[in-house]
Amino acid sequence: MDCIITIELGTNAARVFAFDLSGNVIGFAKGHYPTFHDRPDQSEQDPEQMFITMLYVLKNLLNDKVYPKKYVVSCICFSASMHSLLAVDKDGVPLGNSITWSDNRGKKEAADLKNSDLGTAIYSATGTPVHPMSSLIKIAWMKNNQPDKFSRTHKFMPIKSYIIQQLTGSCIIDYSIASATGLMNTRKLTWDTTALDFAGITPERLPELVPVFYSGITLKKEYQKALRMSSSVKILVGSSDGCLATLGAGVWENRKATITIEDSGAFRVIGKDIIDDPKQQIFNYVLTEKYFVSGGPTSNGGVIFEWFTKQFGDFKNAFDIDYAMDALIREASEVNVGSDGLLFLPYLHGERAPIWNANARGCYFGVNIRHERKHFIRATIEGILYEMYSIGKTLEKHRQIDSLSINGSFASIPLCTQIIADIFNKPVSTLSQGDSIGVGAFLLSATDMGMFTGLEEASKMVKMHHTFLPKVNDHQIYKRYFNVFENLITKVSDEFDAISDLQQEYSS
Amino acid sequence: MIQLILQQGVSKELVNFPHILEFAYKKNSTIQLNSFSSTVAGCISLYYILDGKFNWMIDSQPHTLFPGDFAVILPGQHFGGESNVLNIGTLYWIKIAADEGGKPLIGKWSGLNKNEKLSVNQILLVNKGQLVLKLKEAQVLLQSLQAELRNEEVGFFTRVNQLLDELFILISRQLIRQNNSRRDFPQAFLKLEQTLRQDLEHQWTVEEMAALTGMGTTAFTEKVKNYSGFSPLNYLINIRITEAIKLLKRGEVNVTDIALNTGFYSSQHFATTFKRFTGYTPSEFRRNNRSKG
Repeated sequence: MDCIITIELGTNAARVFAFDLSGNVIGFAKGHYPTFHDRPDQSEQDPEQMFITMLYVLKNLLNDKVYPKKYVVSCICFSASMHSLLAVDKDGVPLGNSITWSDNRGKKEAADLKNSDLGTAIYSATGTPVHPMSSLIKIAWMKNNQPDKFSRTHKFMPIKSYIIQQLTGSCIIDYSIASATGLMNTRKLTWDTTALDFAGITPERLPELVPVFYSGITLKKEYQKALRMSSSVKILVGSSDGCLATLGAGVWENRKATITIEDSGAFRVIGKDIIDDPKQQIFNYVLTEKYFVSGGPTSNGGVIFEWFTKQFGDFKNAFDIDYAMDALIREASEVNVGSDGLLFLPYLHGERAPIWNANARGCYFGVNIRHERKHFIRATIEGILYEMYSIGKTLEKHRQIDSLSINGSFASIPLCTQIIADIFNKPVSTLSQGDSIGVGAFLLSATDMGMFTGLEEASKMVKMHHTFLPKVNDHQIYKRYFNVFENLITKVSDEFDAISDLQQEYSS
Repeated sequence: MIQLILQQGVSKELVNFPHILEFAYKKNSTIQLNSFSSTVAGCISLYYILDGKFNWMIDSQPHTLFPGDFAVILPGQHFGGESNVLNIGTLYWIKIAADEGGKPLIGKWSGLNKNEKLSVNQILLVNKGQLVLKLKEAQVLLQSLQAELRNEEVGFFTRVNQLLDELFILISRQLIRQNNSRRDFPQAFLKLEQTLRQDLEHQWTVEEMAALTGMGTTAFTEKVKNYSGFSPLNYLINIRITEAIKLLKRGEVNVTDIALNTGFYSSQHFATTFKRFTGYTPSEFRRNNRSKG
């Protein structure tokens, strides 16, 4: 029996799935790798640790779950989180760690570029909002701040390209991951000269661009042997976590959008057109030559509720955060819709879409003498979801959206799913298979193997589990509170800068 | 209570306890110039404040200690009073010889088993930047110690060493509580990983790793498995191989030294493990991946 392996190089873990050809999960394994924050703005991961963890997890899964059941691997498909950057020397050896999407060191470079005509032109050509997350800004930062490392760098690549190069020897980058670097022209599907000029590099210093269906690579002999695979196993370069999560959530041009909320979150749609947003709030990433995933990311998803739980939750046992979170969710569900007028701006990590302001900060607003702890719990949850709504609204200016699907551990909490339905006033469905990135990678592989006529047909295979319908009255309440939420953001905008400056100056 | 200062080689009370270099209960009522200048500690010194306010320099960091505060000074740390004086107040101190060769801090006198000693050792070393604690519970132990040393009632030899063990257990637990929130496992695990990476040569045991996060080994193993996908020892091997890969690519250190630096027993053990993980022997891997600088 044939099976398909999907490998996700996620933000904090490598996740490997084995699917049979009908899309059932035969096995799953994950391996964690840490993110190092040696300085406040810094966020790095060890490329060799990511590689060895991925390899170890893959090998264990094959030996424990795949080979004993007599499955034969026919295809391996990759996905990875976006925006990572690794510098390697002329022998392919990393110069230091891989820099992750949440690294903020390039904030000055980003701010200077964003408000210029050049910045507008680059956004319009590349579809990636100008922000420290993008490789464009990271390389420009390195050029200005680590000139020696910059000049010793033979190639700049995302971690996904590095891992694939270790396994196969080929230095390639798929369109999806490339379109999130801020360096690729999403209309021409080539490296963008203007962006490269700004970064100070030439195309030779980047991996070779290939479509997501590219499979002209083979495992090195040593890994064929170590993983007990033949040279005929197809290695599909695959796509990014964001694009695949959208496909795996059953979204196509069907007036549907998907909301993902894990630690961070995003609102995404798929379409044939690039959304050229004059406010530069929306990203456009390439899924295939014809289809684009557009949307907005938030840095303040489940991680904010986790922060709240760590500070104010009741821990029965050491480190048992799940129990503490469950208890808080129960408490929050007893509070009236709208938290009796307590609002929360969730910008503890600054914010990306829609305001793209690294200096934004959190705020509880409207506190009165009758508010109790439980109101703060619910307000925190509602604040995270209002923020998702404000991203959704920017997309709704460009696309008709009738229904939503959701994924990610925070969005899938029933209380949260219901609040999303009520705030958006749209039906919201949960998915029957939890990991939509893995499902998306499976659908990509299965399409490539000819099991579907195309990705559109493949996307129809995704089954919805349960649909939450909006409650009209609750929507009215949320709508009125959301007006205040939205106005508040603009009103305190100057104070965001002021407080963030003070925090930088006075806190150690 | 009257003042009491016992010193090894002088006070007969300490004859049975060669590891106790000094035990003191002191009321300091005058400030004398240069009475407490900074020196490098050669033993483990424990101080507990009963009364007053003490300004000390520990490893060039200023600390102000109030009643109920406890300071642990490890061998090699600089320690003395700010402006070289001992402030007015009342305090206990006890100085304990570190074991020969310096490696395990807790000597043969202790009733702790080998793993417990290692864990206490690690906790003290890892937290050596933050060795000032709130530790009111120590007062009772120190009072009992004083009474045992002076009265020499039946069983005093065992009791004194037991009290010292209790003191070290108390210190270790408090260090873990004070320096870990016990709410944030990812944070605690990251801290542990950084500690492991700093000393990969060390033959870490699961007990030691668990102790550093303040958990029992069973709960720790389960939590790590859940969070990381690996057992604690497999996670550790992962880090060892990661470091080895980097050193092999850099090409400066020879393979045998890499094996030992990253915590493998021998180059044979390293080669087998490395091949099992990566499909290459270390030298094959180096031939294929080395940076020529």
